[in-house]
Amino acid sequence: MMLSRIADSLFWIGRYMERADNTARILDVNYHMLLEQPPDTYKLRWDPLIAITGEKTRFYQRFQEANAQTAFDYLGYSADNPNSIAQCIILARENARTIRDRISRELWEDINGLYHKINKLRDEGEGLSRFCDAVKRGGHRFHGVCDATLARDEGWHFLQAGCALERAEMTARILDVHYHQLVEGPEILNEARSHAWVAVLKSVAAYEFYKRQHSQIEPNHVAQLLLLDPRHPRSVRFNLGVLQNSLYAISGSVPGSYANEAERLTGRAHESLTYDRIDEIFSRGLHDYLEEMQETCRTIGAHISQTYLYYAVVS
Amino acid sequence: MFEGYDPGTFYDELVAPDGTPRPEAAAMHEILAGMPLDVFEERRQLADLSYLVQGITFTVYSDGRGTERLFPFDLVPRIIPRHEWDVVEKGLAQRVTALNLYLQDIYGKQRILKDKIIPRHLVQSCKHFRREMVGLNVPRDIYVHIAGIDLVRDSRTGEYLVLEDNARSPSGISYVLENRLVMRRTFARAFEVSEVMPVDHYPNELGKILRSLSPRTGDRPVVVLLTPGLYNSAYFEHCFLAQEMGIELVEGRDLVVVDDVVYMKTIRGLTRVDVIYRRVDDDFLDPLAFRADSLVGVPGLMNAYRAGNIALANAVGTGVADDKAIYAFVPDFIRYYLGEEPILKNVDTFLCSRPDHLSYVLEHLNELVVKAVGESGGYGMLMGPSADKKTTEEFRERLKADPRNYIAQPVIPLSRCPSFDPATGTISPRHIDLRPYCLYDGEKVTIVPGGLTRVALQKGSLVVNSSQGGGSKDTWVLRGNDGGEA
Repeated sequence: MMLSRIADSLFWIGRYMERADNTARILDVNYHMLLEQPPDTYKLRWDPLIAITGEKTRFYQRFQEANAQTAFDYLGYSADNPNSIAQCIILARENARTIRDRISRELWEDINGLYHKINKLRDEGEGLSRFCDAVKRGGHRFHGVCDATLARDEGWHFLQAGCALERAEMTARILDVHYHQLVEGPEILNEARSHAWVAVLKSVAAYEFYKRQHSQIEPNHVAQLLLLDPRHPRSVRFNLGVLQNSLYAISGSVPGSYANEAERLTGRAHESLTYDRIDEIFSRGLHDYLEEMQETCRTIGAHISQTYLYYAVVS
Repeated sequence: MFEGYDPGTFYDELVAPDGTPRPEAAAMHEILAGMPLDVFEERRQLADLSYLVQGITFTVYSDGRGTERLFPFDLVPRIIPRHEWDVVEKGLAQRVTALNLYLQDIYGKQRILKDKIIPRHLVQSCKHFRREMVGLNVPRDIYVHIAGIDLVRDSRTGEYLVLEDNARSPSGISYVLENRLVMRRTFARAFEVSEVMPVDHYPNELGKILRSLSPRTGDRPVVVLLTPGLYNSAYFEHCFLAQEMGIELVEGRDLVVVDDVVYMKTIRGLTRVDVIYRRVDDDFLDPLAFRADSLVGVPGLMNAYRAGNIALANAVGTGVADDKAIYAFVPDFIRYYLGEEPILKNVDTFLCSRPDHLSYVLEHLNELVVKAVGESGGYGMLMGPSADKKTTEEFRERLKADPRNYIAQPVIPLSRCPSFDPATGTISPRHIDLRPYCLYDGEKVTIVPGGLTRVALQKGSLVVNSSQGGGSKDTWVLRGNDGGEA
């Protein structure tokens, strides 16, 4: 019988590891893309990055402008930012430590190792590139170790659900913020547009996959891939599919039915991503669609907690 | 590695006064003596690394970031021949049995008080005496299921003495098991020839006892280990034992009491719990019964306990057996309850609550060790011979103000064991003690051979507590009396 607290820890290990990994990807890609950009577009590029992480308010309370250094400080290590990469890894490790009797020794040692590694990089004053690289590799290793050493029990499905939900929301947000900026943003960005879309694709490791299908970089094709493609492991649809399977495995529901609100909302969103076409979504407004998708993800998370993880106070 | 080793005037566990190894240590001595420093150093670092990678660390919060430190492990084992261990084992079993009978009595008929073997005021003024336990029937009449009895060897007589009893929730067994694991990997050859008795069955034995306490009939009782949580310094041990016993590791917030029944909160709803191996102190166990500000306890747990719906190991209120003033009477308990002479002696103890003892102690402060009765882990202690004047005077005032709270003992010249000194790269003698772990199932006492040997790594130091700069060693009890040939 799985304790709710343990399921909760597994769910959040998944979310924090995924959040750290996504943030590192965004930082890294942006940094490399901007190395070749004219300085006047510079500021306009770092700002959306802060927006993706949902940290705009807190960031500008601390820094006057967003540039490579301030973004790295804040998104990489800052203890004031609860979503900084270092904080995510610390929290994933705390959770893993709390339940280390329930996970494989390999998984604990891996997360513990990543924590010590990023501390070492900080102490050595390593720059953004090496740091992000270490975190991305850490993310890959995390999935590998989970896959190779964890039993496929309920705990596994809570971990999967955490990863998938976080990744779905992150991809939707990355697309939303860039789309907003690129399509509706100032004229000055025009010449940089296709570079920026390449950066978006690279930040979700989808560039090679995209190029095999389309020779030109077109916003609607990019959106199609990141939102609707069932084959790419970072698309929103793919992850909602993974989430749905895990929720079914936990509750014992069969496809086509649902046992709780989290399953119903996941099923509905997955249906929409399966059967809606990208031009329909564009004509309804991509931004609204993505906004709604992110909101759905947040609501699903709350319902998973309510259903399995939190107990109201019993008096 | 043993070049120039001088056992000195203290009893040395591995080396005889003439510098030759004792028979039980012959094989290990030969292996170490023949080992180049760099090989030893390499093995030492590998051992340290294995503790770090596994995260077997203490957290020290002095620098704000939370630094994790290793509990230093010394690769030179302590070796005990069988004939010695047999005596120690009998003595421990006798003592743990008597402690249980005493607790049954104190929370039951209180015969021992009526017969004036121990003063009533001394028992009832004890900080850990729990009025709530009087007349409460604990499952199978067992109070102390797990005891850690600290032993020292007096260099003057070569005898083992009991230094203190730990009858609440003694920690350290995980180090015994992990140290053995590391040693087996590091010195496989020595194990081959020396016939060391195994210790790995501890979690199994403990699990058996815990399951036997279940108030419900049925073959699969739900047993859990209750931990204060991640920030407790023994958290690693809690995880380790829960995993080894295959039981759930829970925090207070995972449990809830409904109608005097304890449940744990699972993803499928509430599941009934039968037995709690609790590593949370009495004070914090139930905010409704004890400290109201406890965040790690379970409200209503004592009611469930009183209703007989849950078993707790150890029972509540066992601190009235390991109070350092009560300690002085344990030999009397053995005579009173068992009609036997104590096999293991106590260290002479002055009770500051007795005016004649207090005046002696005040006159001889610089020769004695003074200890607060309810503390453990080396806190609240004065080492008379080495303390500075200011500290001594502070203690003098405290003793006068609250004599019941203190005892004093002569400084025991603890035995020493060869230990590696990283500063000089040589093996030198260091003072040690021994904490065996005793399990009581209501009929017999089971003790895994050996226990935790703690070592004062500072040259000359007599304080072995981990919080005070101590380390640990693997403890070998041999199947026979000599260690074979390497």
